Amino acid sequence: MLSLVTASALYLRWLPHHGLPILLLFAVSAGAALAIYLTQRRRYGASAYGVSRERVDADVNAVLWTAFAGVALGALGIGVVLAA
Amino acid sequence: MTNSQDAPDGGAPPRGRLAERLLPGGEEPDPRFTLANERTFLAWIRTSLALLAGGIAIEAFTSDLFLEPVRKGLAVVLLLLGMLLSAGAALRWLRVERSMRHKAPLPLPLIVPLLAGAGAVAAAVVLVFVLWR
Repeated sequence: MLSLVTASALYLRWLPHHGLPILLLFAVSAGAALAIYLTQRRRYGASAYGVSRERVDADVNAVLWTAFAGVALGALGIGVVLAA
Repeated sequence: MTNSQDAPDGGAPPRGRLAERLLPGGEEPDPRFTLANERTFLAWIRTSLALLAGGIAIEAFTSDLFLEPVRKGLAVVLLLLGMLLSAGAALRWLRVERSMRHKAPLPLPLIVPLLAGAGAVAAAVVLVFVLWR
């Protein structure tokens, strides 16, 4: 989550160089960080409970959404760089 | 990034449809291994984010160092690598999770040579242009 927040701050730093399209990158990065923040308490509780009963189900959705956010950031970044 | 709920009858709780589809069969591995697999996935995602941010930075701040085509090329290479790492991290997480569920040997990390090779190429390009300039 903190990595995504840091990345979103860096994207804002490059707003003067790349213009408004960089706000898309900021929105994706900050949005992903916010989603992680809002769900982390539930996920931490589930993990802690799972460890105590020795069974933790893999959270496929969270992994795929996080990876999708990275791919989306890359695709948008390439668009911004090529359009500059 | 984990889920766990007890079934009403005290047996194994039902898994989600996506989990059943992508991680079929086998049995839940030791929770420490599942959590370690997630930590490894998140470490790859952090690397990917660094590359994604670095790609934009190269394009923004190296105009006095590189010619425009080189600058854009390096930025696109870094951004592509970040994208591939994100997707590769998810695929590796899936493959490792499947292997653990079936008590099979863990797969080789294919994204390690990808990152090493692309990193070496990018470093070589930068070195050539810094020396040549």
